[in-house]
Amino acid sequence: MSPRRLWWRLLSAVALTSITLPAAASRLQVEPRGLDAAQLQASHELVEEVEARLPPAWRAAIPADLQLRWRDDLPAQVHGRSVGLQVSLRRELLDGWMARSPREGAAGAATRAAQAALIHELAHVLDRGPAGGLSRDPRLLDLAGWQLRPLHFGLRSQRNPFTDRSPDRYELQDPGEFVAVNLEWFLLDPGYACRRPALARYFAARFDWQPPSAECARGLVFLQAGKDAATTGFEQIDPARVYAVDYLLAEGNGAPMSRWGHAMLRLVVCAPGRVPGPDCRLDLQHHRVLSFRAFVDDVQISSWRGLTGRYPSRLFLLPLDQVIDEYTQVELRGLRSIPLALQPGDIAGLLERAARLHWSYDGRYYFIDNNCAVETWRLLRDGVPRLAALPLRSITPTGLLRKLERNGVADSAVLDDRDAALRSGYYFESAQARYQQMFALARQQLALPQVRLEEWLALPAKRRSPWLGRGDLRVTAALLLLEEAAQRRAELRARDVAKRRLLAPGEGSTMHDQLRLLLADAGLLLRPGALQGGGYGLPQGERGALEAQAMRLSAAVGGEWARLRQLAQAALPQAQQRELQAIADNLSALGERLRRLNHEQGGLELR
Amino acid sequence: MSKSFLPIVLLLAAAPVCAGSFASSASSAGSATSGSTSGDDKVVLQARADAAAFVASDGGIRGARLEAALRLLRERRADARAASDMQLAQAILAR
Repeated sequence: MSPRRLWWRLLSAVALTSITLPAAASRLQVEPRGLDAAQLQASHELVEEVEARLPPAWRAAIPADLQLRWRDDLPAQVHGRSVGLQVSLRRELLDGWMARSPREGAAGAATRAAQAALIHELAHVLDRGPAGGLSRDPRLLDLAGWQLRPLHFGLRSQRNPFTDRSPDRYELQDPGEFVAVNLEWFLLDPGYACRRPALARYFAARFDWQPPSAECARGLVFLQAGKDAATTGFEQIDPARVYAVDYLLAEGNGAPMSRWGHAMLRLVVCAPGRVPGPDCRLDLQHHRVLSFRAFVDDVQISSWRGLTGRYPSRLFLLPLDQVIDEYTQVELRGLRSIPLALQPGDIAGLLERAARLHWSYDGRYYFIDNNCAVETWRLLRDGVPRLAALPLRSITPTGLLRKLERNGVADSAVLDDRDAALRSGYYFESAQARYQQMFALARQQLALPQVRLEEWLALPAKRRSPWLGRGDLRVTAALLLLEEAAQRRAELRARDVAKRRLLAPGEGSTMHDQLRLLLADAGLLLRPGALQGGGYGLPQGERGALEAQAMRLSAAVGGEWARLRQLAQAALPQAQQRELQAIADNLSALGERLRRLNHEQGGLELR
Repeated sequence: MSKSFLPIVLLLAAAPVCAGSFASSASSAGSATSGSTSGDDKVVLQARADAAAFVASDGGIRGARLEAALRLLRERRADARAASDMQLAQAILAR
């Protein structure tokens, strides 16, 4: 053998030894006092097994003279403690460890408890040491949920609002405990990377090492809060099917409550079978909206409660179609949909963060410093770390859009050509502008005596009906839109009357009580993290159980709500009920006329 | 006094920020409409208001929902491929 080859064999032998015998010398010493031989032996086994699970970088950072002591005098509920160079663990954990059944392996409760307690204390030692500082790292704090507050530059909230689906609520105590608890799960649970993927990646990058991990369930699931049974349920979003994410801004209208607009994110999800690309922009029925809303468990919206943060703020997933209707037709507000310059990896991170918020976040809504703009800003920067470096902090929806534009993240040029923007879905205009146009056309063609749109809509439906059969297809189409506007107004008025009755003491009080009960149930439906199904973090194997519970609840709430609505409708004044019926009659007459005119001209028929 | 106090006071005087973003469960629970419409039907149904505006404005107003329905109809039906945008919009309206 040549000297050179011998040299190589020696080298590889050395390399091999260092791989196979990493924990040759244990860094953690067991304090032998008070332990019999068996206990000492068991302690060594525990230390060895735990050290074998540690990433090499962490193992190397354990101080050479760190000592493990078993103690009987720790306060109840305290499993361990680490002070200076001493790690103390509850002696019961050692008893459990020694009594562990080899049949159960690492999954046994006693085995896990002892290992978790030791990892937890070693994590504190690491975090305090020169190689540590995890619990002070801004990125860790973002991921964990000690959130930045926009009006208090650089300051973070004291409370961690990620309270739902926590593996161990002790993690919410403070950032140090969060790190220690999460490192337990990172090392001991192969499913951790599926349930808390961003944190798992953070730790893996930190240690330059991957723990063994399980295969994750496909995609991300959200509980969609649709407006009816058909659109309520679990929605699986596969980030690879999301072609783009838009900043969706509901413009203010005249109403003072809406003047600041509302900030949302639109997910441009491609229809099944379509290759992700610009064509997905018209797959509107598959698009979804992420919207932070304050959940109101009361029929009144109180500004005072909003100011003092007594409304829970949660992240909802809604169908885009529903959002368009809600804003453009009911609230008469325009929607701007501005594409964000995000890469596929950014989108995946953003959606993962959104899923974490959706399942675990139970924030408090403050009108000023924790509103939709602030929440959306945080979702963007926490989900897409490179955005955290940009000065995007803003407390208003329009302010956030301006900053996104200034920093090249959003580009409003898509709105420059208004017609093209409407056609491609970058802008959804308020129905109000259309109603004006429709009225102008109808007035001109039919010589209507009313001068203003408002006068036309304020007429009793029966006085509009003689005009409805006189126009051609164009005019009839215009009259249809106007009649729908009249219907929406009448419904809003009816809802208002019903609401006042429900709130009134006396006659409506039983209904009021029923409504409150209903709202409590619906509230559970709007807090997915409160569904009972086991597991923590992003749902994996327990998805089926969670969904079944959500659907049961949804059916119950839907039925009860329909019943209550009928009650409220029946309680409406006769005149109002007659007016709603007259409008419905007008609408069906218009529909009939449109069908007839189209048929007479030999038009295409879709039925 | 902290610097952040001033903007808070100003904002309080102005207006609450993005209210109107309230999700009352009342509006989310909703009515139990029939879930029987297929996805394609829904696209056409959602396009009705856009189709009405298109027809009334003689092709002047073209919304994205109409565009989506036109594309879908042409993907699915041979007779739709032969028809003009206006003919299809009228058909959607007459449905």
